[in-house]
Amino acid sequence: MRIGLVCPYSFDAPGGVQFHIRDLAGKFLELGHEVSVLAPADEDTPVPDYLVSVGGALPVRYNGSVARLSFGPVVAAKTRSWLTGGNFDVVHIHEPLAPSVGLIALMQSEAPVVATFHSAQLRSRAMQLGYPLARPGLERISARIAVSEDARRTIVEHMGGDAVVIPNGVYTQVFATAEPADRWRGTPQAPTIAFLGRLDEPRKGLAVLAAAAPAILDAHPGARFLIAGKGDMSEARELLGDRAGALEELGPITDEEKASMLAATDLYVAPQLGGESFGIVLVEAMSAGASVVASDLPAFRRVLDDGGSGFLFTTGDPDSLASTVIGALADPAEMQRRRAYARTAVGRFDWDRVAARILDVYAMVTEHETAEPRSLLGRLFRRGEER
Amino acid sequence: MSGAEITLVVIAAVALAGFLLWRIAQRLDRLHQRELSSRATLDAQLVRRAEAAAALAESGILDAASALIVGDAAWRAAVEARRLVGDDTGDPASTDDARGQAESELTQALRAALGGAQDQAHLAAEPGGEELLERLAQANYRVQLARRFHNDAVVQIIGMRDTTLVRTFHLAGRAKLPQTFEMDDALTVQVGSARP
Repeated sequence: MRIGLVCPYSFDAPGGVQFHIRDLAGKFLELGHEVSVLAPADEDTPVPDYLVSVGGALPVRYNGSVARLSFGPVVAAKTRSWLTGGNFDVVHIHEPLAPSVGLIALMQSEAPVVATFHSAQLRSRAMQLGYPLARPGLERISARIAVSEDARRTIVEHMGGDAVVIPNGVYTQVFATAEPADRWRGTPQAPTIAFLGRLDEPRKGLAVLAAAAPAILDAHPGARFLIAGKGDMSEARELLGDRAGALEELGPITDEEKASMLAATDLYVAPQLGGESFGIVLVEAMSAGASVVASDLPAFRRVLDDGGSGFLFTTGDPDSLASTVIGALADPAEMQRRRAYARTAVGRFDWDRVAARILDVYAMVTEHETAEPRSLLGRLFRRGEER
Repeated sequence: MSGAEITLVVIAAVALAGFLLWRIAQRLDRLHQRELSSRATLDAQLVRRAEAAAALAESGILDAASALIVGDAAWRAAVEARRLVGDDTGDPASTDDARGQAESELTQALRAALGGAQDQAHLAAEPGGEELLERLAQANYRVQLARRFHNDAVVQIIGMRDTTLVRTFHLAGRAKLPQTFEMDDALTVQVGSARP
């Protein structure tokens, strides 16, 4: 199958959507499909062979924040030639409503279009105009995919219609087979508790963990907190005062280090305050065999099967976090039981399964494509002749 | 403004209005095309699911009574029920209802015959059982997909045709107003590693 993937965000600063597309393309290639990815990327950004760049992206103020997007006549022309040259069986556009190359591809594509919606918060003007009459282009999408139940609800509420939920994929084997690093391995006297995420972004919740740390240290004086991610953690240190030594700052870590840290640590804590539509790190931690302690956001509840695969605490409440961590450490048998369940439960997020489900969607939109999608005008005149 | 100028403005306004109406008609047309193809896909997937169910019934891994009931339901769904495409003899609404009824009965028969996760594990252990269950699981998942995509197109068409502009100017032409395809497609088949 010839598959065209379109990414609206620039590969210069990769985020969740870009990684998803990169992994998906890799999986499709492995399965023997022809794949091309159209995305913004600067000339000097190293990109995979299958990626076609529409050129650099511009930081634009849109919908209240600054996003790096691509648009304009050059982008439109490149998109057109990519679509024509690729002769795709299906064009899969991610975040099609972002005013970038995805929206341009949507309006130009002659092939059936599949769209994936990643975000759960699309309260933009574009979404309010989601009504079909006001929002041309939506009728061109043959199949909508939402990455989570929350993203799906956003679509149902703001755009009408429905979407199928297919979660983001994770190469669970990479994490399941990762070599645990001894320096991050916990002992009964000194359990390790890991955090991963931007340190100075309040939404990621490091402050919640730091506020819970004293109570955890009271119960487990030897506990070590492994704090990985970009940013400044002086605020968190201040919260702990003279016990700040328990916080080990790892700084930004590589993918390999992340896998070996998750494989070694006793607990992985996800204290996010909101704005998460999926929670991919939770799945990675579960695959690696860490016990997950997460805030009870709807997205996290679903990933953790309502606590079956981990431990949930009240979002933003340090006391609840502390008691959950202490309770979990006090019952190793229960931790073991939930970890074992988690290892099988992550199967539904594995790329093998996820890619197969996406290919099912492609099959559904390509199977009975209208034989010759002649234009409305052409058919009107043709009908006149036949009569 | 002279008479000629007024005429020009009026002509321009009419042309613009005509163009905008044309664009709406075009979009509606595209939606109707999509609805036709998603309907054909749904029909094909339903037949494939019934075939998968029939193969399961013939395989001998089900108990005798289940095999008979599933086989009968599959036959009614795949062969006797009205086709969703290429059958212009009846009223499409009643065709859809009858077909939906037959397909729901097949789902219910399968649900009863397959039982819970434990029962399915036993079925999968039979020779060839694993493949048959996987085939059925995939066929049923694809039916769910096809139905959702089809209904999605239908809902968009209904929403668009309900607007004053479309009704006043008959922008939908003679295209029939489609309706969503309703059936019970909730079937849990445990596959691969999900099986206990």
